[in-house]
Amino acid sequence: MSQNQIDILQRALHREKLARKQAEKILESKSLELFKISEELKDVNNKLTSLLDEKTIQLQGVFENINDAYIVIDIRGNVVKMNDTAVHLFGYNIKEAPINVKSLVYKEDYKYAINSFKKLLSNGSFLNYTARIFTKKKQIKWVHINASVIYNKQKKPIAAQGIIRDITKAKFSANLIEKQKKALEKSNNELQEYAHIVSHDLKSPLRSIDSLVNWIKEDNKEKFDVDTLKNFKLIEATLEKMEQLISDILDYSSIDSTNRTQQIDLQKLVLDLQKTLFIPTNISIKIHNKLPTIKGDKTKFQQLFQNLIVNAIKFNDKEKGFIEIDFLEKQRYYQFSVRDNGIGIDEKYHQSIFKIFHSLDAKKGSSGIGLSIVKKIITLFNGDIWVKSKLGEETTFFFTLKKQ
Amino acid sequence: MKGIVFTEFLDLVEHKFGLEMVDKIIEQSKLDSQGVYTAIGTYEFSEMLQLLQHLSRNTGISIDNLLLVYAEHFFSVLKDSYPDLLNIYTDPIEMIASIENHIHVEVRKIYPDAELPTFEIEERTEQSLIMIYKSSRAMHYFGLGLMNKTFEHFNASASIVLEKIKDDGTEVKFIITKN
Repeated sequence: MSQNQIDILQRALHREKLARKQAEKILESKSLELFKISEELKDVNNKLTSLLDEKTIQLQGVFENINDAYIVIDIRGNVVKMNDTAVHLFGYNIKEAPINVKSLVYKEDYKYAINSFKKLLSNGSFLNYTARIFTKKKQIKWVHINASVIYNKQKKPIAAQGIIRDITKAKFSANLIEKQKKALEKSNNELQEYAHIVSHDLKSPLRSIDSLVNWIKEDNKEKFDVDTLKNFKLIEATLEKMEQLISDILDYSSIDSTNRTQQIDLQKLVLDLQKTLFIPTNISIKIHNKLPTIKGDKTKFQQLFQNLIVNAIKFNDKEKGFIEIDFLEKQRYYQFSVRDNGIGIDEKYHQSIFKIFHSLDAKKGSSGIGLSIVKKIITLFNGDIWVKSKLGEETTFFFTLKKQ
Repeated sequence: MKGIVFTEFLDLVEHKFGLEMVDKIIEQSKLDSQGVYTAIGTYEFSEMLQLLQHLSRNTGISIDNLLLVYAEHFFSVLKDSYPDLLNIYTDPIEMIASIENHIHVEVRKIYPDAELPTFEIEERTEQSLIMIYKSSRAMHYFGLGLMNKTFEHFNASASIVLEKIKDDGTEVKFIITKN
């Protein structure tokens, strides 16, 4: 071998040695890197395992503590898991004997159940399935079910889970409420009819008494002394008051419905009222802002303003009395006010005055129905009424009528 | 450039021209690595260029032809190292057409810092494929060698015409027609 060849071999050998060392170094750093990564992975794996445990415990808790029945079925409908509530609801326990959901379906709902199950498999879930089931104890129960399909990694359906709520009681209550509602409507109508009849029937004997009293008076014109005549006057006044009372009751009982088709000019309505009502000369009525034209029922609005104005007149004790009517337009409603400088209302009565037969002063010829009629009309138009007052000085009634 | 390209190259030079030639081209080149290569290291591309230039000068074989031969050798290295990658394919055109979308994607998983050429598909039929090769390395003959071996691997043959789009060979059109 020539020296040249030896040199070449030596150089080659030297390069190979260095290359080996280089490779070892690279591999060592790579293996260190791998070691670190594997440590990190172990760490992550531990975290994931504990997270999984935690979630499993949470799920188990939900499964056991949920108020509704929870079951898992395979795709043939065999129950594979059920919580205590489910055992309680169905009466069956898979720990004792296998069951298939088909055996739980109430006969008449079978078709609906099969269709829903098909839908569940094709859509992946269904909500608000409501039907009857047949329990082990041969009871029929209404249930509400939300269900979803469980898929495996290859997205193939392997099972389905459902949350089942017993709605038998709710269903029963709903039926009961519906029945009671109908009964209530019926008795309401009857009551209204009854009020009509009673009012009319009560008025005719009153008129007879009135006529009889008049005849007695005529027949005994000369014989009665002053006291007796005074008593007769009292009888007449009482009869008048009683008739008014009956009319008011009739009005009150007929407020329940309204038509809102007419356009009512409230300004004109109140001005007309002023012409027909008896207004003593010491009392003045003023309208501050021109009242609006709104959709509603003329008779009802008349009753509303009339009652408030009449009250304001009736309870005015001042030498120079006034009644001020005002109006404000808000975004969603109209607000009205009727102010007077009368006797005022003690704050403790501010609520009770709107109740039927609550009169502040029976002597003033008040039936105690006026404000309850007002309140009823306002309620009909989705409004509200309240009062502000200084006892002995003034009273303001505020009320609102909702815009259509 | 990945070390395996160097080690396989020098092995081929030794096999074809002897250890003396290996020593000669290393000695003639100015190499940061001193000619010390391991398959798992990474080295400058300029070193490969110098080695190729000196081999070409010493043997009188053009660089393009050297690359062609080297690529044919390199294909068998790939076949031995990554048989699964090749087994996915049943057709050479299909395999070559998926260089960009599959093979290079896999390469990057193992070597995230690899600097790869691009092969844009311009036209593709059952029997033919037109691709544009782009790389600052101008190693289109290396590509050609790999393609030749690909057809051979599937017991097929093809005529592959190269048309330089840029004179320096950094952009070359491959017109491949299956026979």
